[in-house]
Formats: sequence, C-alpha cells, structure tokens
Amino acid sequence: MPKHRLAFSKADTAKYISHLDLMRTFQRAFLRAGLPIKHTEGFNPHAFVSIPLPLSVGYSSACEVLECELLGEVDRDTVPARMTAALPAGITVHRCYEAARPVKELCWVNYIVTLEYEAGAPFGAERAIQELLARASLVVAKRSKKAKSGQTEVDLIPLIARSTVEERRDTIGLDLVIRAQNPGLNPELVVSAIRSECPDMAPDFVSFHRRAVLDGDFQPWE
Amino acid sequence: MNRTLEHILPRVQKPARYTGGEYNAVVKDRHRVDTRYALCFPDTYEIGMSNLGMRILYGVMNQMEGVWCERVFAPWGDMEEEMRREGVSLYGLESGDPIADFDLIGFSLGYEMAYSNVLNMLDLAGLPLRSEERRGLSPIVVAGGTCAFNPEPLSPFVDVFALGEGEDVSVELIQLYRRAREECWSKEEFLSAAAQVPGLYVPSLYEVRYQPDGTVAQIEPLEGAPLPVTKRIVQDFNKSYFPVKTIVPSTEIVHDRVMLEVFRGCIRGCRFCQAGYAYRPVRPRDPKLLLEQGIAACKDSGYQEMTLSSLSTSDYRPLEQLCDGLLDWCEPNRVSLSLPSLRADNFSLGLMERVQHVRKSGLTFAPEAGTQRLRDAINKNVTEEEILRSCRTAFSGGWSSVKLYFMLGLPTETDEDVLGIADLAEKIYQAWKETTPNPRRGVNITVSTAFFVPKPHTAFQWEGQISMEEYHRRVKLLREHMRGRSIKYNWHDPETSFLEAVFSRGDRRLAGVLEEAWRQGAKFDAWSEYFDFQRWMQAFRTCGVDPNFYAGRVRDREEVLPWSVTATGVSQAFLWRERERAYQAVITPDCRVQCTGCGADKLYPGGVCDAEA
Repeated sequence: MPKHRLAFSKADTAKYISHLDLMRTFQRAFLRAGLPIKHTEGFNPHAFVSIPLPLSVGYSSACEVLECELLGEVDRDTVPARMTAALPAGITVHRCYEAARPVKELCWVNYIVTLEYEAGAPFGAERAIQELLARASLVVAKRSKKAKSGQTEVDLIPLIARSTVEERRDTIGLDLVIRAQNPGLNPELVVSAIRSECPDMAPDFVSFHRRAVLDGDFQPWE
Repeated sequence: MNRTLEHILPRVQKPARYTGGEYNAVVKDRHRVDTRYALCFPDTYEIGMSNLGMRILYGVMNQMEGVWCERVFAPWGDMEEEMRREGVSLYGLESGDPIADFDLIGFSLGYEMAYSNVLNMLDLAGLPLRSEERRGLSPIVVAGGTCAFNPEPLSPFVDVFALGEGEDVSVELIQLYRRAREECWSKEEFLSAAAQVPGLYVPSLYEVRYQPDGTVAQIEPLEGAPLPVTKRIVQDFNKSYFPVKTIVPSTEIVHDRVMLEVFRGCIRGCRFCQAGYAYRPVRPRDPKLLLEQGIAACKDSGYQEMTLSSLSTSDYRPLEQLCDGLLDWCEPNRVSLSLPSLRADNFSLGLMERVQHVRKSGLTFAPEAGTQRLRDAINKNVTEEEILRSCRTAFSGGWSSVKLYFMLGLPTETDEDVLGIADLAEKIYQAWKETTPNPRRGVNITVSTAFFVPKPHTAFQWEGQISMEEYHRRVKLLREHMRGRSIKYNWHDPETSFLEAVFSRGDRRLAGVLEEAWRQGAKFDAWSEYFDFQRWMQAFRTCGVDPNFYAGRVRDREEVLPWSVTATGVSQAFLWRERERAYQAVITPDCRVQCTGCGADKLYPGGVCDAEA
C-alpha cells in the first residue's frame, strides 16, 4: 500500500480532465511543487500515483484521493498549499496524510445527482422518483464488455443503500449512497432508469457530484 | 463556467480542450485591462498548443500591462455543432468571453489547408468574413505566420498581416491600436497608420490589376503604403522573449514537452524550402542562456521531456556543449532529451547514443531526392556516401529502423531520379546486412514520398507543379521498383498538395473560391475526416477559376508575382540565380562556407550574420 494520500476536490473546469490526464497532471504537479515522489521500478520508471475509483469526465467531486509516496523529509502540513498552487484551476488539495486503511474498505459513495428541467420540474416528479427507487427490484440494461450481446442486466436496488429525493424549482436533487466497487454502481444508471421507467420525468440535463466516500459502516473513508 | 457550456461539454469528445484553466494560463481581471487580444490557431487545441510561436506571442502580449491575450482554437466538428445549436459563439479559453467583443483577433497561419478554418472561426465568432463588412475599429483581424508571405488569397478577410517574426510588431500594433482608440480614429485611419509600421501589410491599401491572360499587371499602393512590405526579425535573439513559464495542458497534446529554440533561420539554402529562405538570417541563442532556460522551463512545467528545436539543429555550433550541459541536469532529474532535425551529414552516433540512452527510436533522414544530380539541383547538400556512412554507424550501434523522406515532382526530376530512391533504399538495406550485429532481428526501412509544392519566396517559386496524373505515374514507377520485404513504401495522396500549390502561390481571386468552398462545408482540410477534394473542385468551377493556372503554370521572370507585395529580405535576383544554378545542378555553399549575398543580412544591421561568426 502506498504510504501517503492526498485528499482533493475537483470542480469547475477541472471536471473535464479525464482520469489518465489527471494522473499525468499530478505527476507533473509534484515536480512543479518540488515534492519528489517514489517512482515505479522497471524499464521505464515513472512517478507512481494512483487514484482509486476513477471519476467520470464531467463529474465534480469533494472527496477524491490520490495515493503516492512522498520521499525525504516533508512537512505534510505544507503539502496541500504547495500542491494546490502547482495544479490547474479547479483542483484543490485539502489534506496530506499517512494511508491507514486499504482501498478495499471503501464500500459506498455518496453522490448528489441534480436533474435539471428547462421548463421546471414536472408535476409529481419527486414522488414518482421516490416510488421508483423504493421498488423491490429495478432492473436496467447495462453495457458490458463480457456479455456476447454487449449488454447485461443489473438490479439497481441492492446497490443503493440510501436515497433521498428533493424537488426544487427547476431541478430535482437526488442524494444517493451507492455501492463503490465489486460491483460498483454508476449513478448514470439511476438516471437511465428514470428515463425509461418515468419518461415524463426525463431531465434535460444532469449533473453529478461526488460528495463523500464511505466505509462499510457508512463512515467517511480516508 | 458558463452554464450553456456545462451542458454542451459532456456531449463532446475531449472536453478539456474547451475549458481553459490549465496550469500557467494567464487570467486577468477583465475590468482592469484595456485591450483584449484573441490569439487564434486555425486547427485543434492539440496542434495549436504544440506551436512554439503561439506560446511566445501569448507570453509577449500578456507581459504588457493592460493587455489580456487569450487563446482560441478551432473546435472539432462535434463541438462546433453543439455551439451553433446552443448559440454559443467562439470564445477565449481564459475568460470564456465571446471574441467578437475583443479588440484584436490574430490568426497564426502555418499551413494553407487551414484557411477554411480561418473563415469558419470568424463565422463562429459571429463576425462578417470580409474586412470591408467589419466597419468599426474593433475587432481588427490580424494574421501572421509563414503563410503570410503570400497573404493574397486571404486578403479580403484580414485587416492587417504581420510579416516575419511577431515578437516586436505585435507590441507595436497593440500600441498603435490603443492610440487609435484614445484618439477616436476610424478603422480606415487606423489601417492607414498601421501600413506605415514596418512589417505590417494592409491589403485594402493595395490595388491589384490583372492582364488579359490572368497574370498580375500591377500592384498599386494607396495612401503612401510601402511596396514591398518587408518582414520583421528579432534583432537580438538572446534578449528576445522565451516562454520559461508556459501553459501546461491538462490533456495530451501533440508536442507535450519543453521546446528549446536554439536558433532562428537556417544556413543551408535548400532551394525548395520556404522556411530556409524566409527566416534568414541565422541568429543563434547563447548555449548558457539555453541551458538556464531549459532547466527553468522543466522545473516550472514539470515536463520530463525536452526537445531542441530549429530548422536544422545539427548546424547549431555549440550543440555538443549544450547537450552535455543539459544532460548533466536531465539525467539525474529523469528528464529525457530529444534532438529532431539532425542532418545525415554530421550525424554523430555518440551524441545520439547519449541522448537516447533509454530507448533507441528510429533514425530519420530526409535526402529529399534519389540521385546526387537531383540533390545538387535542389541544393540539398548531402551525399549518398554520407547517408550510407551514417546508416552503417547506426546499424553497427544496434539501430534497426530507418525512415527516409523524399519528394516527387522536384524541378528537373527524371525517371532515373525516381528510381534512384529505390536504389538508395536498396543500398541502405545492403549496408544493414554488412554491419548489423543482430541480423536475425531484421531491419525496417520506410521510404515516404511527398508531392512537391513550389512555394513563394523560394528558388522554385516560378516552377509549375507536375500534374497529379504524372505524380501517380512516378509513384507507380517507384512502387514497381521497391524490392524486399524490409523496405516499406508510403506515398502521400496528391490532392492536398495540389491545393496547397494553388493557394500558396495564389492571388486575390482565390478568396472567392475559398469562401465558396467554406460555404459548401470546407473546414479542417488538413484532416482526412473532413477533407473533400471534389468540394474544392466544384468551388473552382462555380467561381470560374482554373486551379492549374496557379499550380501547374511556369512563370516568366518578368511576371509580377502576387506575393511580390511582401519581401523576406532575400532578393528576387538571388532566387532567380539559385533557380538557374538548379537547372545546371550546381550547388551553392551554405552561409558558413561563403556568403552568397542573398540580401537578408541587410535586415540585421547590428548583428553578425552566422557566416562571419
């Protein structure tokens, strides 16, 4: 397990930096900040960084984690400011700490999914979506690389631990706690279930925000 | 970020190209600047951000108090479609503000096939295409770069062309613009004053008249505008701006590394090469300064790759000294150094080995022509023996991949010259067999041929391009004589080279063709995804313009060339002499052996031309 972790957030223009580009960006940012990190061994050594649970392009997040190993004597308290200054706009490093818990203990993710309606939220949307998520089973089709047909079916309900639905003027906010891994649930599938099961409630635009990553007891994982 | 943009971006490919916010992007307070400049590159973000000139001008202008220069690239088709549908006009990446509201809009013109994108970007900005339809003082549309040495096909669309190197003239143009605004000048008054700034060409102040045969009869300057307009150069290359602190894209671009420019200009004088003539005279940068700048740029950017850049890097006199110094720093810091554009004649294996100690990438040579006679005719002063010697050294050092670049259709080329390419490839294969330490691994010899395009301001500016049919015949001839599985032959399709030949030596009447092709959907013509040759041929027919008049016709010495309104400092008499020597297959020594009196040294009164250094 790499020794150190950085807790960071990703917002605004940085939302559109892909996972691979973000790793490259961090590798360079460590150099810019003058913070040497451990390199991989082998034929073509490169700075080792790892970001568990890759965030989809376009999502914002308040709770990203990067794993690395800082070399030499470093005052960890200075790392967030030094790294933030060396990173593109929209990425803020909040904390640098020693890794204690393995990534496999990261079980749940809290997403805020905002459904936007240009003409205002449709009448009854809040209720309809609540009922949808309260069903005993909600099976949707999902793309699959393994299945011959390229599609497989997944039941969302067991993968959703909590959900609250809140209607505002022209948006509906979903506060979801869903499975992080093995298998994880892509929050986009919840939206596609709404589109297919409640077509009248289909939003014009959806934004996704990752608010927290949680352990098996729904406590913050870090 | 703008809400409409947030809605669009999840639907397009590689959205990080359209957001700005990269490390070192310059963000100023829009209320505390007086001049907004949109620096536009008429191709994708990945290509434009790889352009050193863009980075230099961005830095130069943003150093100016009160000036905010932002970057603008051509959005890919999916993004353009979304922008047009949602009514988002072309915006600066730094502020997200529409560039139609900026004071100046500058285009970098590196390639004729990007012209349709210039029009498309003006349209996406919501601006009228033609200069005369943009009545107010703002925005002023400027264009510079290599293609500005024949500005004529774009002249109705652009207000001011900047010829040559832009470091100084961009600043002067902005200063003049500020004065114009303070004193409430009209656009016409501004343009008339701009024409008096050395290096600025204002096409609306020149009247072009044609002969009945279609050639130019006369170019008449109005309101005291100069004829010709001579390019600008940086006088002291050690003092000129270098972007030590430069934008580090958050997404991968084509040349994603620190670029160190070791000198401007070229000593060589290859007769086909526009850059070789147009960027004279040679001005090197001090190796100590380069070392400092290279290290500082790596530290600031976090890049782990550095490259030396120039038109012919092995002609940089202190190259070994510079590489030694750089490697001393690069190796312990895990930064890799690469050296493109090395010539075969002074190829140094030691240097190559030290530089590429991790990976042995392929060797690349550009003999350009297959026989010594033709290489002499084009003044590509590299001999077959030198190429073979370099290859032997490389093969015995373990290299097993060679790429060779040639042109087909060079003036005076015969079938013997074409077949000489196959012979040379075969000799290189034999050299590999004789010298390789591991014959079982095999060798890859890749031969590529491009279709020669005669360019303005070169010794071949009077030549006709061979027809596409003739090009195909020569390709076929060569293909039939390429033997052996180790030799791979690639050839370029001639359609883009034909259009390049039309536009690079075109006149103002091509503007209509360009506009018509754009109306029929032309954009990103350098990309096979978008290029449609028939669309262009249809545009020529619609406008009643014969493209062969521009591409295929041999010009007389007396003909008034449309681009003679611009001057690179290299005299027309010199170029004609070079053309005659080409036909005699007589070489001209490079600037270091002997000054050949091209005239470019006159641009550099305070400096010492490289030949004398």
